[in-house]
Amino acid sequence: MERKNFLKSLMVGAVSTSVLVEACKKDTTSPTTTTTTSTSTSSGSTTSCSVIETETEGPYPTHTPASYVRSDITDGRTGYALTVKITVNNSNNSCNALSGALVDIWHCDAEGNYSEYGGSGTQATNYTTVHFLRGRQTTDANGLVTFTSIFPGWYTGRATHIHVHVYNSAGTSLKVTQIAFPEGTGTALAAVAGYTKGMTGYTYNATDGVFSDGYALELATITGSTTAGFALSISMSVPA
Amino acid sequence: MSNRVITLCYRKIIDINAAKQWDKLVFEASYMEFKMQAQNYSGGTAFTSYADLLRHVPNAQAIAGMVMPAITGYVQQFANIVPDILNNVGKRFLKFNRFQFEIINSDILDKTKHQVAVNFYTDSLLWHDTVDNFLLVSDHKPAAIIDEEMLSNLFQLQPYVNIHTIKNLQ
Repeated sequence: MERKNFLKSLMVGAVSTSVLVEACKKDTTSPTTTTTTSTSTSSGSTTSCSVIETETEGPYPTHTPASYVRSDITDGRTGYALTVKITVNNSNNSCNALSGALVDIWHCDAEGNYSEYGGSGTQATNYTTVHFLRGRQTTDANGLVTFTSIFPGWYTGRATHIHVHVYNSAGTSLKVTQIAFPEGTGTALAAVAGYTKGMTGYTYNATDGVFSDGYALELATITGSTTAGFALSISMSVPA
Repeated sequence: MSNRVITLCYRKIIDINAAKQWDKLVFEASYMEFKMQAQNYSGGTAFTSYADLLRHVPNAQAIAGMVMPAITGYVQQFANIVPDILNNVGKRFLKFNRFQFEIINSDILDKTKHQVAVNFYTDSLLWHDTVDNFLLVSDHKPAAIIDEEMLSNLFQLQPYVNIHTIKNLQ
């Protein structure tokens, strides 16, 4: 009895019962079951019928691109600054610039850890809930995308590299590849020297499982210094 | 009357039949990202469905985490208020701070197979009473004195809303 009174007072409180009737007519959020009550009100309201939204359809949904879509991918990771410029051309179109292509890049941080991964045998540090050092850009009329990042570190078994995935504008994969880094005296790789890890146990391109079968087309040009930062550039052909 | 502290989970399922604008945007964005990310795992195999990739390709369980950044911007548009779940005067009232993105089913070649869920986990609520089919709840503020007057909400448990955690207050 007490509950019934409570419900009744609620209905009176909600301006008028006709509001409820209107609401029930176009109820969009009603659960499946409806049981009529024995109340004497003529509104025909039911106890299990949720009232339709009486506010605007907030929040106004607006298109937001994936959070991968960004040029600066550092996300707070520290290291020597690295600008990555990738130019994509179409091998099926006289090697002309490929505009409108989506280019994803991702690489490890100065310690050799990837975001999205971790807590497992190959990477002890758990970074499964962060997305640092991953980004996506769309190629311009010249086929160029530019990213701001840090010079990657390295991890056991691999030479320093940057992953690249090129898609057409519909998201269909055109090419999955990796960028290799020049080695030897005077190179950026030698200047960075593996950050705090050093180069002991480093895997060079010649013995790297991915690059050892030839990496001439995957080798980037890198200029700069540890103080001024480095600039990496590479041009690649993909069949589009 | 015993007071119980609960948290709720609302599992919002979105598929090709999505009618609301937000749902449609999440459907499109998550499918585009699924297609893009899944190709990193399907390369060199004949598998195109999410289920097959999970079963046969090592590390494919990472796909859901890789797709999530495509929809986080949309979740942020809710400004920490759970969508769809209304109190008895028709307003959204549940606050959430955590969500989890889930791929239920999908296929690189078949958009109609794409089905995802966003799980919203609410902040703690004090469950005061049950009035007919409605729960009477208020925000749980540990420091507040129980005897004080507080704002409350009446709402009905509905499909895809679960009481996720429960704790009895002494």
